[in-house]
Amino acid sequence: MTLILQAVLLLGLIGITLAIIFGKDLMISVVIYCAFSFLTMLLYNIMGAPDVAFTEAVIGVISTVFFIIILKSIDRKTK
Amino acid sequence: MRKTITIILLITAVFVPFIAFNVLPVIGDPSSAPNTHVSDHYIEHAIDECNSPNMVTAVIVDYRAFDTMFETTVMFLAGLSVIMILANRPKKKIFAPSSLKRFRESGHPIYKTVNKDVMISIIEPVILIYAIYVLFHGEVSLGGGFQAGALIGMTYLLDVMVVKREKPIFNLPKKRAAAIAGIGPFIYALTGFISIIGGGLYLEYNKFPFPIHQAELHSIGITAVEIGVTIGVAGTIITILNALMERISFDDDIN
Repeated sequence: MTLILQAVLLLGLIGITLAIIFGKDLMISVVIYCAFSFLTMLLYNIMGAPDVAFTEAVIGVISTVFFIIILKSIDRKTK
Repeated sequence: MRKTITIILLITAVFVPFIAFNVLPVIGDPSSAPNTHVSDHYIEHAIDECNSPNMVTAVIVDYRAFDTMFETTVMFLAGLSVIMILANRPKKKIFAPSSLKRFRESGHPIYKTVNKDVMISIIEPVILIYAIYVLFHGEVSLGGGFQAGALIGMTYLLDVMVVKREKPIFNLPKKRAAAIAGIGPFIYALTGFISIIGGGLYLEYNKFPFPIHQAELHSIGITAVEIGVTIGVAGTIITILNALMERISFDDDIN
């Protein structure tokens, strides 16, 4: 059961990464990056490292906010 | 001349780690120290030796306290380099999209549903109390200094970004925030000297010169060190935020 869950989460991580890379709108990429962080947190939790999961949850939010601040100063759409 | 020095430094910085990598054990090597006896020792003796039910905390701030001290220092240096690179550039003026402004001024229902100032003001104390809980309960349950510091930094970030106040409650300009980030590793390093006064090694919590039980000495040592880590992390996050805000000045509020 745990193995299946891990496999699903890892596949989700790959899908999210592809979505971030090929996204045209940087704002959407940043929000999806937050989801990446959340899935990583779940993965750490399943693998038995709740300490690391806690850190990932907090840092994921903070880095998303930093990215959004930076997005204000650059062009939102990619060429 | 300066360029030559820079190039020599860069090449050294690239090649010295490669020389160091040869000395490290191969990943997964069954005869390396962590795979033979170190991990088993941690698992068997963590509770007797460190009196900390959370083994992660025992390893990070007790067995490997010296290592964690320089991790905190590295983080402080990272925050400093971010602000040194970003803050020395000219400011860039950002204009908010006019459509949002028009909606807000005409009192569109989107801006009347939730008062986000009040909402965030209610959330902030809860996050802060949770940060204090995580800090002082770190040796028993989840968390520790790093997470508590990140939570405190997040509270400041939310307060600056979302709540519109006439006068901010905590105003931390870039120099003050960087100084606070430096106080953290300083407290950590100072804790190590207290055990030297008691006749022990650096950061050896058993040898604190206080007449109390050994378990309490360990508890005091871990808490003092984690307070240092907390202050360092919170200061670093606020420093990076200041660096980003220095780079861009908003014409309108952010969301």
